[in-house]
Amino acid sequence: MIHIEQLRLKFPGAEKRLFTDVSLSIQKGEKVLLLGPSGCGKSTLLQVMAGIIPRSLDVPMKAKKLHIPKRVGYVFQDPDAQFCMPYVDEEMAFVLENLGVPREEMNEKIAHMLQRVRLRLPHVHVPIQTLSGGMKQRLAIASVLALEPDVLCLDEPTALLDEEGTKTVWETLKEVAEDRTVVIVEHKIDHVLDFVERIILFNEHGDIIADGPTHVVFSTYRSFIAEQGIWYPNVWETYEKPKTAQQPYAQADVLLHVQSLRGFRQKEEKIAIDQLTIYAGEWIAVTGENGAGKSTLLQSLMKLIRTEGDMYWQQQPLANDELLYDHIAFVFQNPEFQFVTNRVDDELAYASRLEKRPEHEVDDEVERLLERFHLNEQRYLHPYQLSVGQKRRLSVAASVTDSHRLLLLDEPTFGQDAKNTFALLEWLEAYRQQGKAIVMVTHDERIVSEFATRRWIIENGKLVADEPVAPRMFVRGGIG
Amino acid sequence: MRWNIEYKETWLHQANPTAKLLLFLPMFVVIVFVHNPNVLINWTIGFTVLFMLFSGYRMKHVLLLFMPFLFIFISTSSSMILFGKGETTWFRWGLVHITEESFYRGVHLGFRTLLFAIFGLMFALTTKPVLLFYSLMQQAKLKPKYAYSFLAAVRLLPIMLEEFQTVHQALKVRRAAKAKGFRGKLELVKRYAIPLLSQSIRRAQRIAVSMEAKGFTNERTRTFYYEVTFGKYDVYLFVVMFVIVVVGYYMADAFPYVAIKDVR
Amino acid sequence: MQKKGLKLTDVLTTVVIAIVFGIVYKVWGPLYYAVKPLGLHLDQLIYGMWFIAATVAYLLIRKPGVALLAEVAAASGEFLAGSEWGLEVLFYGFVQGLFAELVFAAFRYKRFDVAVVSLAAVGSTIASLVLDFYKGYIDQLAWWNLTLFIGARFVGAIIIAGVFAYSLVKALEATGVTQLLRPTTKEDYDSLDK
Repeated sequence: MIHIEQLRLKFPGAEKRLFTDVSLSIQKGEKVLLLGPSGCGKSTLLQVMAGIIPRSLDVPMKAKKLHIPKRVGYVFQDPDAQFCMPYVDEEMAFVLENLGVPREEMNEKIAHMLQRVRLRLPHVHVPIQTLSGGMKQRLAIASVLALEPDVLCLDEPTALLDEEGTKTVWETLKEVAEDRTVVIVEHKIDHVLDFVERIILFNEHGDIIADGPTHVVFSTYRSFIAEQGIWYPNVWETYEKPKTAQQPYAQADVLLHVQSLRGFRQKEEKIAIDQLTIYAGEWIAVTGENGAGKSTLLQSLMKLIRTEGDMYWQQQPLANDELLYDHIAFVFQNPEFQFVTNRVDDELAYASRLEKRPEHEVDDEVERLLERFHLNEQRYLHPYQLSVGQKRRLSVAASVTDSHRLLLLDEPTFGQDAKNTFALLEWLEAYRQQGKAIVMVTHDERIVSEFATRRWIIENGKLVADEPVAPRMFVRGGIG
Repeated sequence: MRWNIEYKETWLHQANPTAKLLLFLPMFVVIVFVHNPNVLINWTIGFTVLFMLFSGYRMKHVLLLFMPFLFIFISTSSSMILFGKGETTWFRWGLVHITEESFYRGVHLGFRTLLFAIFGLMFALTTKPVLLFYSLMQQAKLKPKYAYSFLAAVRLLPIMLEEFQTVHQALKVRRAAKAKGFRGKLELVKRYAIPLLSQSIRRAQRIAVSMEAKGFTNERTRTFYYEVTFGKYDVYLFVVMFVIVVVGYYMADAFPYVAIKDVR
Repeated sequence: MQKKGLKLTDVLTTVVIAIVFGIVYKVWGPLYYAVKPLGLHLDQLIYGMWFIAATVAYLLIRKPGVALLAEVAAASGEFLAGSEWGLEVLFYGFVQGLFAELVFAAFRYKRFDVAVVSLAAVGSTIASLVLDFYKGYIDQLAWWNLTLFIGARFVGAIIIAGVFAYSLVKALEATGVTQLLRPTTKEDYDSLDK
């Protein structure tokens, strides 16, 4: 089905080749997982297999032999970047138009495809923007199925989805891919392991280091896989969390108190909270369905949207919004939006320079942060050039200054690999231990039960539960 | 464009988008070569009435949409009125020199802009972008790669606007949303533009790749989900416009509002 | 290697960027009119913003046809967003984009520096003035006023669509996103064998 011999590939302007003489072949009907550290080129290889490189993307490459299937279905990672039309039916029709399907047959075909991925909608003419991430991905799968592909290429199709979306998308994929050749690139492999029969493992230089049946590769290279930060089953059981996690903090004085807070978008009230108090040393997890108002709550606490209500910082009424930014730091979901300079070290110096601190103090501070957040090697890079994990670390390091005592985070572990997630959680725990407080929106139940001390549940713009989280016993080793 | 304002589908909405373009665009050239303000006044009245009656929007919304045009009218005519050349002086104060000629020329310019604006609004409010590009592919043989690129870009607009909000909030939190001085302001524009543009570029790339992965090629032999054709409403539109143009032109000669027939 | 003409990726990227600028163009309208009644043509200093899509897109994608496409797309975006000028912007967009494109063509699409984009900005300015000549009777303005008008427009265009556009693209290059937009060279392919 797929046969590649001695593939060489190099991105223009890159220092090193991504692949040097990589060879592999995949038989009809096989289900294969490409596994390896981020940046090893798995996705690029998948794009070569699908013919996207060089047909759509002009990347210099050559191979001694290259046999790739004619009809490939490719599901991409970003749900917002694989549609060109505004409505569900129009997007499905786009694929049918490409295939030259007569207009009269389209409606029936569209209904049939949506049925196959179990995408039940009140009407096919629904704006794609109103769908959840998981539904968007299932729409993508439906449109790919219309191509009747021989091979399905799945490029981290659930990397940007929550747990619920991940589950439904994999269920759908397993159903529709049963009798096809499937090649998968994925970091969260819990849902994939029982589906694939073969793993091809790469190292960070893009070389294949193992290729064989799933259970053999997985058990032989378990520690290598763990080191690469891949989310494999039981990863939490092998993880040793800090001993202080979830332990109460001694001097729990009141930091922020909020009375009848209401937040608005346009003129609509999106969140209404009677009262809230945040104490020093707390780690509050904010949970709830998509669209319940979790992010809106954070934005209201930071007065980033129009709000009404009274806020008190350490018992004092807050005179103006600017003061708020002195006490409370905010880390956004997409780190890129928060960067304001062109270099990592400047980014770290930005806050101190704004306070007009002497330059030698700024330098010391920058050195300390580079060390603490493992960004020393990247200090002269543009923030956008960093890896996903590095960007996250930089955004935290640059947003939090000494004056802050409360840190708000909007899904900070979203799209992060296991290694970076644990590193971030540990840093946050250490931060909490300094008498600071954390409010964090998350979809990850495991983080709530392992690290949070309190949980807020948001439903329809209301705080429906505010309850302590019982500390989870620390189990050494686990299954390893 | 979708304006999130309620409207009724009228025959203007039913008319073929390409036909509308073919009828409206030449009007631009025609209007530019008309120098008699009486004609423009008649046409403005005629097309405003057409718009008000058949755009399918409530009068209250139409009036609201017309508000900025008044401002534009004043603003366009003012420089010509105040600083234009002319013989018959009405008023002189320093550099300001208002003459009869410059006054009428200014007013004429105001009506010209007003007419362009009415045509633009009439088109934008009665045409769905998706149908416009489907029509352009089918009637004007526009290459699919251009048509679908436009549609994809239109789809991305709301996403980009949302991102703009987020960037604004993020910069505010880092106290980076304000800047002093000209250079500072330019830096600030960049600070907003870089995240938005880079995100857009990446997304555009990904969408293009995914479109081709779904079998898109630039050949013209493709079927269309929406079949758009010319029809009787296009004839209606042509007739109505023809009547307004011709009647307006002759009425201007027969019953002029102002004596000036050529503002040059 | 590279085929002739623009690929879908090029077209789509150009159009998406252009539509972003289309929104800026639309927002620019009220701003322009707000400073206009001041009379002394200060408004002309910011006119150059309406040329920026062509120069930015050309600097980013570096292929023939991109400048024209970008300016037309930006004008369409402005138009569909309900521009105060209505259909007029489509004509202006086309002619301004065409003149910028001609400047790039004159340098055989081989130069990507600040001088060339400034020249393209000048080209677009000339295009807009030609249309204004027919549409706005600008020749009927008092001579001192006309000089001020034209001078301000040229200066503004060079600053915004020339120098600023160039520095904006430089800043974007630093982020690394432009890498995949540029045409690949023979050297890139040669380095596969090293």
